[in-house]
Parts: sequence; C-alpha cells; structure tokens
Amino acid sequence: MLTRTCLGGGAAAALSSLSPSIRRCSFLFPSVRQTLLLPFSPRLASYRISPSPRRFSASAAVATEEEHKVAVAVKPPQWKAAIDFKWIRDNKDVVAANITNRNSNANLELVLDLYEKFLNLQKEVERLRAERNAVASKMKGKLEPSVRQALVEEGKNLKEGLVALEEDLVQLSDQLQLEAQCIPNSTHPDVPVGGEESSVARKMVGNPKEFGFDVKDHLQLGKDLDLFDFDAAAEVSGSKFYYLKNEAVLLEMALVNWAIAQVSKRGFTPLITPEIVRSSVVEKCGFQPRGQNTQVYSIQGSDQCLIGTAEIPVGGIHMDSILSESDLPLKYVAYSHCFRTEAGAAGAATRGMYRVHQFSKVEMFVFCRPEDSDSYHEELIAIEEELFSSLGLHFKTLDMATGDLGAPAYRKFDVEAWMPGLGRYGEISSASNCTDYQSRRLGIRFRPTPPEGVQNPKKGKGAGSAPTRFVHTLNATACAVPRMLVCLLENFQQENGSVVIPDVLRPYMGGLDVISPK
Amino acid sequence: MLTRTCLGGGAAAALSSLSPSIRRCSFLFPSVQQTLLLPFSPRLASYRISPSPRRFSASAAVATEEEHKVAAAVKPPQWKAAIDFKWIRDNKDVVAANITNRNSSANLELVLDLYEKFLNLQKEVERLRAERNAVASKMKGKLEPSVRQALVEEGKNLKEGLVALEEDLVQLSDQLQLEAQCIPNSTHPDVPMGGEESSVVRKMVGNPKEFGFDVKDHLQLGKDLDLFDFDAAAEVSGSKFYYLKNEAVLLEMALVNWAIAQVSKRGFTPLITPEIVRSSVVEKCGFQPRGQNTQVYSIQGSDQCLIGTAEIPVGGIHMDSILSESDLPLKYVAYSHCFRTEAGAAGAATRGMYRVHQFSKVEMFVFCRPEDSDSYHEELIAIEEELFSSLGLHFKTLDMATGDLGAPAYRKFDVEAWMPGLGRYGEISSASNCTDYQSRRLGIRFRPTPPEGVQNSKKGKGAGSAPTRFVHTLNATACAVPRMLVCLLENFQQENGSVIIPDVLRPYMGGLDVISPK
Repeated sequence: MLTRTCLGGGAAAALSSLSPSIRRCSFLFPSVRQTLLLPFSPRLASYRISPSPRRFSASAAVATEEEHKVAVAVKPPQWKAAIDFKWIRDNKDVVAANITNRNSNANLELVLDLYEKFLNLQKEVERLRAERNAVASKMKGKLEPSVRQALVEEGKNLKEGLVALEEDLVQLSDQLQLEAQCIPNSTHPDVPVGGEESSVARKMVGNPKEFGFDVKDHLQLGKDLDLFDFDAAAEVSGSKFYYLKNEAVLLEMALVNWAIAQVSKRGFTPLITPEIVRSSVVEKCGFQPRGQNTQVYSIQGSDQCLIGTAEIPVGGIHMDSILSESDLPLKYVAYSHCFRTEAGAAGAATRGMYRVHQFSKVEMFVFCRPEDSDSYHEELIAIEEELFSSLGLHFKTLDMATGDLGAPAYRKFDVEAWMPGLGRYGEISSASNCTDYQSRRLGIRFRPTPPEGVQNPKKGKGAGSAPTRFVHTLNATACAVPRMLVCLLENFQQENGSVVIPDVLRPYMGGLDVISPK
Repeated sequence: MLTRTCLGGGAAAALSSLSPSIRRCSFLFPSVQQTLLLPFSPRLASYRISPSPRRFSASAAVATEEEHKVAAAVKPPQWKAAIDFKWIRDNKDVVAANITNRNSSANLELVLDLYEKFLNLQKEVERLRAERNAVASKMKGKLEPSVRQALVEEGKNLKEGLVALEEDLVQLSDQLQLEAQCIPNSTHPDVPMGGEESSVVRKMVGNPKEFGFDVKDHLQLGKDLDLFDFDAAAEVSGSKFYYLKNEAVLLEMALVNWAIAQVSKRGFTPLITPEIVRSSVVEKCGFQPRGQNTQVYSIQGSDQCLIGTAEIPVGGIHMDSILSESDLPLKYVAYSHCFRTEAGAAGAATRGMYRVHQFSKVEMFVFCRPEDSDSYHEELIAIEEELFSSLGLHFKTLDMATGDLGAPAYRKFDVEAWMPGLGRYGEISSASNCTDYQSRRLGIRFRPTPPEGVQNSKKGKGAGSAPTRFVHTLNATACAVPRMLVCLLENFQQENGSVIIPDVLRPYMGGLDVISPK
C-alpha cells in the first residue's frame, strides 16, 4: 500500500507498507505552542491601544509579547478531513495508547492543545460579535454627538479586532487540521500489539513443496525461458524496470483475466481505472505524494501523480458524495498498472521481479456500512485465500501487528506465500479495513434508510431524513502480477527446466499447460 | 503516433499525428549564421595577438569582430543521431523538395552551411595539428637558445589555438547535429503529395451499416449500459480521464487478448513494456518530450517520461546494439498503457472516448533489413485489415500524403473506420515505415552475413566481416482500445439499446454475446 501519511510503523518487506515516511509529522513552527488567542501587531495596534482595555478577554490580558510574534506561516491544507476532534479529546487515553502502539509520530498533546485554543478563540470571536452587535444596537437611538462618536470608535475597533481574530481562527483551524491528520486510525481490539514479528498467523495452507533437484529462482527461470528482459529496460527506462516476453505476457494476461473473473462472479463490479490522479486524492487515501522518501511519481508541471495502487482511484470514485444506504455495499474489482518509486528499497530481498517500479494489479475495494466492515474484511481475506489456494500455492495468512499498520488501517491481513527460489515467504497480498479513515478524508457518506413505518410527509432538503454517516472502506489485493509470477515460476518449475501452468489459468492461456525452454 | 520532433506537417484528427509541434526548429541563436571558424576572446587573446599572424587560416583573416562574439550557448545534445551529412549535401535538391513537401520546418541551408563550416574547421584543426607537430620536430635537434625560445613560444601559441579550435569544433558539431535532427525522413516515391486531403484510399472494406432506428453515440450507449464514468474521473484525475466499468472492462481485456493472440500467431513475439522511459529514448524515436505543446507527460525530478505509445519502449529494446542478419526480422507485438497530454486538443471531434489521456494499446513493431521494409509495411497493413475485417467493421485504408507524415515516417498507412454515432470516419490505426530514421538515432545496426563461400580465416574483432548497416523499423497499431470501443459500441448497437459482441471476441469474454441494459 505504499507509504502512508504521518505513520511511524511499517515493515521493510511488506508490499503494503514500504519505507515508512520518516517525515516529522509537524506542520508547525517552534513557537506555535504559544498560538495566539490575540491578534498581533501592527495590523491591530489601533485595537490594542483602544481606550477600552476591558474589551480584551481575560486570557488576552496575560498574553505575552511573544505570542504576538507567532508567525502566520502555516500553509493552509488543500482539503480537510472530517476529523472528530471532540471524540479524540474525550478518548484521549485510548488515542494516546493507540499512537504509541502504532509507532505513530502524531503529536496528540499538540492536537489537544490546538483544539482547546481553537475552542477558546471561537468563543472569543462569538463574544466579540455579540459585543459589536450590542454597540450597533445602542447607536440606533438618539444620542449626544460625543457619545455617538465614542460608540462609532468603539464599533470600529471591535470590527477590526474581530476581522483579525477571525483570520486567526482560520489559521488555528488549519494548524489543528494538519496536526490531527497525523493521528492514525484506531485499531481493532484483536490486533496483536507490537512490531512486525508480533503478527499472528491466522491460517496456514499447504506445505513447502519438496524438490528432488536444485531449484532456480525466478530470475534464472525467466532468463532460461526467455520470459523477461531487465537489461534492456535498465537502458531504456532505468533499473527495476522490465519487459515481459513470450509466455510471461500470456501469464500476466491470464492472471488478470482470471482474477477479474473470479472476483466479479462474487458480486464485485469490474473497473479499469485512471492511473494519473490528483495528488489531493492520493493524500486523502492516506498516502504521502510529496517529500524526499515518497513512493509516488509526480507529473511535472501539474498537481497529478501516478497511482501506486488502484485503491486510490477506486476510493476516489465516490469522493464527495452521499450514497443511499440501499446502495451499500459497493464492491469493486479494479485492474490497473501501479507505479512506485521504491525510494530507499534495495538488497537481495528485492531481487528480480519482487520489487519493481511498474506492475499490474487487480485490487478489490468495498464501501459499506460501519457495522458491516468487519465481516467484509473476513470476506476479502477469504476470497484471497481461495484464489491463492486454487493456484496451488503454499501460504500463510497473518493478522498484522500494530507496528505494521499504515495510518488508515484499522486492521490488516497479509498473505505470505512460499517462494522456493528466494527461499523464503514473501508478501503477495494485503487486505485492510480502513473503517472511516479514508471516507472522512474523501467525503463519502451515506444516508441511512429510515426504519419501516417512519414516513415523513415533509418535503425539501433533508427533511425528516436521518443524519448522514461516513461509510467504511476496505481494500485487498486479488492479484499483484509480479509476486504471482515469482510464486508460479519458482513453485511450479520442473527438473527439465520447464514450468507447469496451474490448471485454473490454462483456459486463459489458450490451453497452454507448460512453459518449456525454446 | 504523437507529435514528432521538428515536424511541420500533421493532421488534426489523426491518432498518429496530433497537434504537430509548433516549435521553431532552430536550436541556434540569431547570430549563429556567422558561426565562428575562429576562437573567440578572451580565452584566445594570446593566440589572436600572436606574432605569427600567418598561422591564422585564410578564412580566419576575414573573420569579423561579430564572429568572435558568437556565444557558446548551444546546449550540447544528450545523444547523437548517425546522420549522413554527406548524403544530405550531395542530394541537396531532393532533400529540399522533401522538406517542402512535408511542411517541415527544417532549415536545410543552415545545415549545409554548418556542415561546410564544420568541414573547414576540421581541416583547419588538422592543419594546425600538423604545424604543431612540425614545430615539435624542429625542436629535436641542437638549437640556438633564442631559436629554441621562439619555437617554444610558437608551439605554445599553436597548442593554445588548437585547444580552442577543437572546442569550437565540438560546438559546431553540436549545432550541426541539432539542426540536422530536424530534417525529416525521406519519402516513398508513391506517397501522394499535399495535405491530409491528398491522402489516397488504398482499400475500402464493407459499407456503412444501415440502422432502422436513431443511433446513439458511444457516450450515450456507455451511459445507458453503465460502461464508463467520465464524471468521477474528472474529479479524481482531470477531464478526459475515465473509468471503464462492467462489460467495458471485459471488452478491453478481450480486445487486448485477442489482438495479442492474433498477431503473435503470425510470428510476433509478445511483450509487455515499461511505461516510464528516459526522455532521450522518446527523442530518439522522433517524439518531442519537452516544450509547451508536448504530448508527453514528464516525471517530476527525473529525466523520465510516460510513453505515448509502446513504439518507444519497443524501439528502445535493441538500442545501441549490433544484431546479426540472421536475427532479422525481429517482430514484436507489445501491450502497454499509453499516456498523452493532448495539449491543444478540444472540440466535438474529440467527444467521449475518442481522444483521452490514458488508454491501452497493442502495437506491432518490426526491425528488419532495409531491403525488406517495404514488404513488411505491406504485411503490417494486411494484418490490420484482417483484424478489423474480422471484427466486422467498415473501414478504409489510406496512403497518407506527405503533409501528414511525422518526421520519422517514410510512408504511413492509416485505417479509418466508420463510427455511426459520431457520424464520420475516425482513425483507428496507423502503420509506418520509418526506414533508418529511428535506428540511426537509437543506434541499431546489423552485421550482414557474408555470402556463402566467402570464408575468412582471419580472426579478431570485425576481421573480414561486412560493415554494419542500420536496420529499418516499422510500427503499426494492432488495437487501440478506446477507438475500438467507439467502433464496437456504435456499430453493433441494437434497437433495444443492447450491443452485440463480435464473434471473434466472445471466447475472450467467457462466451458473452451481448451487452444488455441492466
């Protein structure tokens, strides 16, 4: 799933959580903790030297000069997540423990501090508005010119102060938003606490295959069978790119066709998605499109990126919309190419096709009611297990530990398959329940159907209808082609150097049952 | 084929020659026509004020001060095409007529002028080298100290002058290279002269279908059958992006699978290619990756681009190599996604799927001996015609006029199919013979097999082997998916709103024979 925003935790070898962002999750400057409750000079000098010092609030009275120096330099967020600040404040200990468990660098204290200041400033603004209105009322009657003049002055000062405070309120709200965006999703109570090594195997299918000969790795098999060309791609594109050749092309097509067919017959709507998306959508899905260690390729001269997974465009397909409850669940199976910079990835563990810059993937995605997301999570992992079993792979399914969860995930199940040539298990898929983390950013809600019998005769917008709720989103890999190629080539190699095609794929390869040396 | 470098000609509606680059094809500055044959100050002041003015060449003697001011500001090319300057000079009139016929902005006079200057400067450099050697020889014997001192001085001046002239030679060679790269390929004698309207129909297959009802265009059909979503894609990615949904996904997969199967059974090697390539490879294929009107998406912070067609990575697969004659022809059928900015494209002619930023395409590509390229060109267009006939389309094949040829093409055959919803013919494929235009840039040669009986007993590098020659390259669309979708939906719509799937595609869609309203 690429690097997630603001997340500390992560597992080196995971397809889903590569190179966690090392970026410090603070958008603020050192002095920000003294965030003003007061406007600052020189704009408000006239207000501050007003003859009516009582108009300053109590807190204003103790404001230090330093507070007035706090800079305005917070870049406003391009979009806002619908974060439930009140819930965070009221569940402070739970949130703090969760941040710790997930190795997140979110700064809860700062968020709470900003939130309190935000509330206070909001109150102050409301108070000043009331005062300004009071002054305006007083001026309605007949008045001595000197009294009127004093009221005019006072009203003017109040208005200026109010304008400034309102601007500060916007800024404080921006700071709060940016800091709070770093807080990871909450965690399913059954998720094991700890680093990647604490992940718990849920299921084990099959056994490592016994070979009566020296096994080759997929790179050697690919070379002997003329299936891919990394060397030419290194010249044309760069390292970690590749051409697929001959039967490898048919195998990729077969895997994609088979995966789409298998998943769509379970009620998922097939999609082919855009592979260039706005960077804001990447962010809203919980990925970090910018910065030194980003996994995301950006398009020059635009605000667009290449997708690292179809999760992004599929998550975005219902962005900023209110679905009706009867539409849910919406289940999609999406085919796309995926592009990742793989900044920082290197070493033998990433040999050959295991970690590459471009690959094809079939991804499942579900939008559902909150109360259903746990069961759809089980459905998704069950589909993955069925798919990989039918290919004849040996694999285990893991309930990933807190330290390995990306910020959006409430719970994540990974599948690791045996790769005899590499001599280890390698991640081939990942299924995450993101609950409302993405929907609060993407703005995807649903309107609950009113219970039977509760007919409301009123018409008009929202009349009598239940308040909207955020949907839950889940994503899961059906087939990440290069990892599948590694598995198929390495597991189904024969002593004579050929590779047997799994039965289920043969109908998609014109009946081809074996790849033989040319 | 996207915009080609330095080309004037072009047809608005052509998939292959969109928005021809309006960039002036001169890399030089206004003063460049006075390109120096002499080094310039201040670096060479010492040489120019040398006490031996006779060491200046005759042309140097007439050099004006202006020439010394000519700046060094030509950006050296990152790569060099193996351009046959001598042939250009010796066939000046042919080349000039070709440039005119093809509406090219190439500046032949400038190229010839630079070439002559280059040759002269080269001679001058050789003369100076000889002189310096002569001075060095003179110093070998016993000499009066004053004579030796004079020789030392002279040798030093000569050396300094030489260094400077050699640098100028490099620069002149760079200028020559950049200007000469603008000269388009020569043109097949049978190509009709003129603008797009002069293109000649080679073949006409079928007739426009008669409908007993009001036909819908593909956009309406796609909407009614829930096959694509442009609106969501506009939010997530931008305008002219789209999601394919439901049967459209199956149809795309079927088209790709079918095209690969059909072409590979004719002896073409299947490939899946990188979609991110170095921009130099894009240039070497004759496309312009930079500039305001480029059709090419660039990756931020790298020298990489997204491909606009698989022609680029396939052309690059044998970059900088010498093939053996017995390897030829090399025939590939490549599947890739293609990305185009479509800068400047707009209007009703580009409605819906007709012109989009991202699409899937199956492309044929041939590397062959020069004497075979005409016949492979015929083979490629014949394959296209067979493919489109078997889908049941009505189309015509055109021999494109000179004004419509991109710079790399020696000859181009387009196929235009009837699109009843759009009410016009639209380009669905293009087959180009690029002769040695791309191979001279990509550095792809072959070594001819010596004739039978001519056995050479000598060993060692190149001993007795024939000199290498540049291969010819050809490219041709097998299946550009969105244009196919337009054709299939619009041509095979039924009165009840359903769309019949062509027989040949049904095996690739699990037997599905019709797309019906849900």
